[in-house]
Amino acid sequence: MKSPVQKLSDLGKDLFLWFDDRLHVKKIWDSTAGHHVPQSAGSWFYVFGSATLLCFMMQLVTGIMLALVYVPSADEAYATLEYLTYHQQLGWFLRAVHYWGSNFMVGIMLLHMTQVYLFGAYKYPREITWISGLVLLVLTLGLAFTGQVMRFDEDAYWGLGIGAAIMGRVPFIGQQLVDFMLGGQIIASETLSRFFALHVFVLPGSVIAIVSLHLRMVLTKGINEYPVPGMVVRRQTYDKEYAAIIKKEGVPFFPKAIDKDIIAAAFVIGGIVTCACVFGPKGPSGPPDPLQINASPRPDFWFLWIFSIAALMPEQIETVALLAGPAVIGLILVALPFFNGTGEKSWRRRPVAVIIVLLTWIGLGMLTYLGATSPWSPVMNAWSAQSTPDAQILHRSPLQLQGAVVLQYKQCRNCHAIDGLGGERGPDLSDVGMRLTRPQLTRQVVQGGGNMPAYGQNLSPAEVEALVDYMASLVPAGVPPARDYTLPQKTKN
Amino acid sequence: MKHLACLFLCLLLISGCDWMPGRPTLAQKWRSPEDVVAFKDLYAQNCLACHGDGQSKAGSITLKNPVYLAAIPRDVLRSTIANGVAGHNMPAFSVAAGGSLQDSQIETLVDGILAWADPKKLPATPIPPYAAALGDVVSGKAAYTASCASCHGPDGKGGKAGSIVDKYYLSLVSDQYLRSVIIAGRPELGCPDFSSRRPGSPMTPQAIADVLAWISFQRVNEFDQPLSQPPAQR
Repeated sequence: MKSPVQKLSDLGKDLFLWFDDRLHVKKIWDSTAGHHVPQSAGSWFYVFGSATLLCFMMQLVTGIMLALVYVPSADEAYATLEYLTYHQQLGWFLRAVHYWGSNFMVGIMLLHMTQVYLFGAYKYPREITWISGLVLLVLTLGLAFTGQVMRFDEDAYWGLGIGAAIMGRVPFIGQQLVDFMLGGQIIASETLSRFFALHVFVLPGSVIAIVSLHLRMVLTKGINEYPVPGMVVRRQTYDKEYAAIIKKEGVPFFPKAIDKDIIAAAFVIGGIVTCACVFGPKGPSGPPDPLQINASPRPDFWFLWIFSIAALMPEQIETVALLAGPAVIGLILVALPFFNGTGEKSWRRRPVAVIIVLLTWIGLGMLTYLGATSPWSPVMNAWSAQSTPDAQILHRSPLQLQGAVVLQYKQCRNCHAIDGLGGERGPDLSDVGMRLTRPQLTRQVVQGGGNMPAYGQNLSPAEVEALVDYMASLVPAGVPPARDYTLPQKTKN
Repeated sequence: MKHLACLFLCLLLISGCDWMPGRPTLAQKWRSPEDVVAFKDLYAQNCLACHGDGQSKAGSITLKNPVYLAAIPRDVLRSTIANGVAGHNMPAFSVAAGGSLQDSQIETLVDGILAWADPKKLPATPIPPYAAALGDVVSGKAAYTASCASCHGPDGKGGKAGSIVDKYYLSLVSDQYLRSVIIAGRPELGCPDFSSRRPGSPMTPQAIADVLAWISFQRVNEFDQPLSQPPAQR
């Protein structure tokens, strides 16, 4: 007599066999999760790919949950965001997980790409894996940008404006492209609708399709073996060598090589949830209203470097750099496995690759830092809100004090800090009196120069005089004021 | 049973997320400039840079000056904030005059500034009227010599303190501003108010009007020609 538990177990087994007979579940499982990978690939460096996929799955889940509340219409999106953030129980947490999930996804994907490049994994015969990865990078950045648009606030509005302005630079068909992107001439409900469609249907669908191809390539061409210096890739021999490695030290991915991926997954989930708990969601900042002149929009983290480049680039090269730049970089990346498809894999024997990676990360890091601080942006309320340190006010004549008022009233402070307080677009003025003489100060104020506009038309002679008298008094204690060295030094008698 | 307990604990933890540091509070919610209603914020965003707040000093007269607050009528304060001082470096802040503040916000500013008034810090002498006609230029010179010359020099051209008859200075400030400074002083910068320039002998309202007339008389146009008739021809 069989026990009820055993009966149940038998029933389960039968059911599985019934399904397996029709769906070949076991065969699929064995050929995917059970495929053999080089034991050396079970390394901590190999977890970034699966971690990116994990982020994407988290984005799918949290995205579906957000879509339950979010209304993709221009007049309701902002209100639903505020509802989610401030009123819906744990709505803020959901938004925060989706936001940080997106940041983690782009970040880990870039790490994955760096690792693949440094480990030579893009070389023969994994060209399609590399190229599909590049497509995934573009799609992911597309998801990040369209996601920023979903947070329909001033950042989204002006981000779209900049996107449209870049599109508009395309020769001949620029205007048509802008109309196509925005769904009309202006940023409106149609714009939000099409970005919603992109963000929740087109791009995630494409990611799923390309990820399938990406993983298919991992199965057919195998995962890259841990590179060893001196082991050179040759088109004629590599396939045999790889087969030999698998035969000699191949282990099934599940359950032998997946352990580190699972631990990394735990770290990634923990990281996203911790960031969500501690830092919360981003925004929404001000409403997407072009009449809101106090807006100071900034793109999301992973686009700050583009913001920097756009702000710092010389005007003459803007169109060429914005249109040809991405095309050239894209072309080089796509062509990489073809012109550099053989040879050494190990980064220890590829100094140029290491230098390229270092320069890229340092460059991106610096541009991101600059984008986050954006010293070139004036501080628009400094003129009325930024106090002046006592040292720059005390012991001044009535005219100089009026000069201090002119400096505020004419908004010099928005670009020029005093003692570090105020804008950073122009030089700090707290010790300008030791750098420029009165005639130099007057000339600079009246005629402008460098980055500074001429203010001669906007200041009365008395205002110029007061301003210059005040600035000439801004000299640190014990330092002589600036003097014109072409003139003989005045001696005290 | 163990799993159920774990699940329950997890749910409890997650539902407790509302106290997490990342949770946005209503105070962090974006506010339009019209929704700023706290005096502190309004003052810090609009007035602080030029007028200081008592702790920080600034180019123009501080509004935390008890004598000034006792002298200025509420209506004048309100209209000065709303409409500015034409031709001088005090901008108009009301939306109607091209500024960015609503009437209610200006009212909040007026209330808040006047709330700084501190009767205990006022001198025993009655505060002179905020506004008055110019006095006599000749008597003004004598009153100036008595009350102000020790710092600003015998002719007003500067001594321990700077010149108050500099032509550029005079073209930047209004008579009313000069009058306010004569009455309220700039104690934070070392210039006493009307009652304490000469210990035991406060300036009378007449002396104030006369000094102002004498200073104002020295205004010139861009060709250095006097703007006023010489006193003998009056």
